[in-house]
Amino acid sequence: MPDKRNTLVNTALLGLLVLATIISLATGTVQVSLFDTLRALAGQADPMTDFVINELRLSRVIAGLLSGAALAMAGCLMQTLARNRLATPGIIGIDNAATAFAVASVVGVGLSLAPSAMALAGAAAATAIAFGLAGANGTRGYRFIVAGIGIGAIAGAVTQVMLSRVAIDAANAAYPWTVGSLNARSGQSVLVLGLGLAAGHLILMSLSRALNTLQFTDAVAIALGTRLKATRIIGLGLAVMLTGLAVSVCGPVGLIALLAPELARALCRPGKVPLTAAALAGASFMLVADLLGRTLFAPLEIPVGIITAIVGSPYLLWILLRPSPRSLT
Amino acid sequence: MTCRTLTPRQTLLRSIAVLALSAMGAGTSLADTRSVETAYGPVTVNGQPERVVTLYEGALDTTLAVDANPVGAVITRGGSDVADYIKSRAGDIAIVGAPAETNIEAVISVRPDLILAAPRTNEQQYQLLSRIAPVIVSDVPMFQPDSWERETRLFAKALGKEEAAEQVIAKVESRIGEVAALVEARIPEAQRDATLVRWMPQGPLVMAEGLFSASILQAVGFRIDDNDLVKEGRPHSEPLSLENLSSMDQSWVFLATLNEDGDKALEAARQSAAFARLDAVEHDRVITVSGQLWTSATGPLAVLAILDDIEAAVTAIQP
Amino acid sequence: MLNALSPTSVVASRAFFPPLLAAGFLLLLVVLASLLYGAGPVSASNAMAALMANGTEEAWFVVTELRLPRTIIALITGLALGLAGALLQSMTRNPLAEPGLLGVSAGSGFAVALAILLGATTATLTTLAAQLGALAGCALVIAATRVQGLGNDPVRLVLAGATMTGLLLALTSMLMLMDQRAADEIRFWITGSVAGKPLSMLWATLPSITLALVLIAIVARPLAAMALGEKAAVGLGHHPGRIRFLITFTVALLVGSATALAGPLIFVGLVVPFIARAFSGPDIRKTLLLCVPVGPAVVLGADVLSRLIAAPAEMPLGVVTALIGAPVLLAIVRAGRMPSL
Repeated sequence: MPDKRNTLVNTALLGLLVLATIISLATGTVQVSLFDTLRALAGQADPMTDFVINELRLSRVIAGLLSGAALAMAGCLMQTLARNRLATPGIIGIDNAATAFAVASVVGVGLSLAPSAMALAGAAAATAIAFGLAGANGTRGYRFIVAGIGIGAIAGAVTQVMLSRVAIDAANAAYPWTVGSLNARSGQSVLVLGLGLAAGHLILMSLSRALNTLQFTDAVAIALGTRLKATRIIGLGLAVMLTGLAVSVCGPVGLIALLAPELARALCRPGKVPLTAAALAGASFMLVADLLGRTLFAPLEIPVGIITAIVGSPYLLWILLRPSPRSLT
Repeated sequence: MTCRTLTPRQTLLRSIAVLALSAMGAGTSLADTRSVETAYGPVTVNGQPERVVTLYEGALDTTLAVDANPVGAVITRGGSDVADYIKSRAGDIAIVGAPAETNIEAVISVRPDLILAAPRTNEQQYQLLSRIAPVIVSDVPMFQPDSWERETRLFAKALGKEEAAEQVIAKVESRIGEVAALVEARIPEAQRDATLVRWMPQGPLVMAEGLFSASILQAVGFRIDDNDLVKEGRPHSEPLSLENLSSMDQSWVFLATLNEDGDKALEAARQSAAFARLDAVEHDRVITVSGQLWTSATGPLAVLAILDDIEAAVTAIQP
Repeated sequence: MLNALSPTSVVASRAFFPPLLAAGFLLLLVVLASLLYGAGPVSASNAMAALMANGTEEAWFVVTELRLPRTIIALITGLALGLAGALLQSMTRNPLAEPGLLGVSAGSGFAVALAILLGATTATLTTLAAQLGALAGCALVIAATRVQGLGNDPVRLVLAGATMTGLLLALTSMLMLMDQRAADEIRFWITGSVAGKPLSMLWATLPSITLALVLIAIVARPLAAMALGEKAAVGLGHHPGRIRFLITFTVALLVGSATALAGPLIFVGLVVPFIARAFSGPDIRKTLLLCVPVGPAVVLGADVLSRLIAAPAEMPLGVVTALIGAPVLLAIVRAGRMPSL
């Protein structure tokens, strides 16, 4: 019975997601009516409409869904582990590092691994450095965050240098992606992301009880039988993997990892870590942001990363600047 | 094959050949099927395409030059519409994207029956586009002196307008001859070295010597040498340090602008003391040219426009 | 006790003199290096000969017309950013407060991008835009620090600044998307560089810098008093509110001028006071004084590096300062405790 509220919230969010998906599929330069969109999904439209909906638009929508969900879950995980509602992978520079590595692979600098693998490597490297520098306090100290800002800055500078040294066409093509965009996704990256998300979800299901206990102090959690260190390591590893894979698809759209879990926490019953709700919310946010980016200034397309930054930053500022007695750390 | 100047006898022979071809062409059925060699293998095109979408500036140029009917095009690099030199001829054409990013849905919405794509279009993009209409991806190597001519012939074949293309090419070649003669007459041999740059405040971008406009300059008699500053396959160098302007200290400097305002660009460049010291500046041999035309466009109409610019510059100098 | 720390006695204080001297000497070395080294064919020995009035005409030109103006601009930029950083850190009592990190540089950058988009090209116009943008950014920072609970939480302020920077960068990106032509100019400008900037730009910022220096001289002693606490400062006859306003204005003048000259440079306002404080201790007046040679030395040193590592092209200055500054930030973090203010 206590879970009824969560189930209700999840269902509502799922409904929102489906709505966002269908509207996204129905919107584009080629005019397709809502009715025709649904028919195309059912496989019953004429070949050209079928092509537009099921091949052109569907792949973009799926990429948005998966990356939004992955980023939101990663954010939710980190916030639980750090006991801090503002902890996101972006804050420790993972976004920028993953982007830098992925850009290196895309423009042909250094190793020629696939962008997914490179993005993962970048995310892992950033995390390792941040942890190495944060010392004993780990994610619960201020040094972690400050280290992240430094790492993010270095990664940003390196990305800029790389882009300035390659041919202008490659740089222009890579540029929107470095601010977060669904345009330059590769099918392979999306596939890997999907697999990663599925695997992550499975692991998280077995970890959910342990994660729920993390909301109390360490002492209580241990008393409840949770293996703290293992939980933290697996949780962080998952967050890093999800972020890295998501970044390899859409670039650094970091604020989703903040906004979606906030929404989920606001709606769900406190006490349980709202991973599913966060994932659904994240997917919806991504689709809505992409939709806005495509339609607000058509035919100009604003990358989804810019939309989320412009919408999400004021909200984040509001959280940060509200008077609150407790220190953040 | 380089662009060479034609003697009157050669011009006459060419014209006869073209007339003969046209005569033969008139007798051929309009509904012929032909196979065009592209970067992705042979592509079959039927009849005369009526709605052509060009995803490449050279393709738009060619299509307009042979009087085919383009219904969609991409914007020129760095601009928000097709290039200025071709705008009036293109008329009210639909924009379907930017050079690096084609909006495939926009292409679909203009219902093309032929798509002329840019060289180096990637495989994924090619497959998607092929679902809409036959796609011609040029396999002509870029940055060669004869690239534009070969591309024109390729696109014209796909358009079913080969005779028209030959006429246009012949006209262009004779015009090249005219301007080359002018250059020979008015500029002494020793002063025909030139460079093509785009000016940034931190330093100039030197254009590659294989660039389209550079090859036209060479065809009319100028000497271009980019001093190995430009890497293979790239259109221009990185911004050179202002201390390295000796690399662009040729007799003639063609200054390409980012926007149409050539005077503004010249003013901005003149602010730099290093620029003012250049030989070309002291002898008033700095010619501002449109960046869109000189560093982005390609094709027969572009050649004619560039030749007009060169002619104006050469005519204006005091001998 | 405070009377004993009058300006003359600060300089005369024996423990302080050696670092100041050393910094000044280092600055001279860097200036010399800047005149001797560059990305072009004029070698150090040529340049040296030119300085002795013995060199070729080309060497003379390169040294006086290319390297010298650039050196001066880098010096002024370093001076402005170093002082601005020290002031901001003292006022917010936050060792991580830095104009770049707090969004002041990004605000300046956004204002200039907007100005370029609207067609501005003259030196005075972009300088004005940069300063207005910096002022807006500063005002936001100050408003943020007035919020209760923020004052003793240095990280939250930095996070707010990072968010602000992210927002402004996104807005700037949007401007660049709207106009492709301006985008190219803005993109080159926003990476930060002192290359090719005309001296006329320097003249445009000189009034602001002079005013800022005057204000610093006025505000230094009250600021030192405020380090003892607001009540103590009031007791000594100062008006903290007024002081804060003056400092905000000064920081805006300094950051605005620096951004107008060199584009947005991050981390300089962090590195320079950090180094200065290592030798000057917590007294803000000593720190400010030490920033005067250290600031220019850091920026000019970075500029010299930028010429040497990517010849015949040049690495943008903004990238070099980020690559130098970020490790310093990490070192601060690693040091274990926040250096006290």
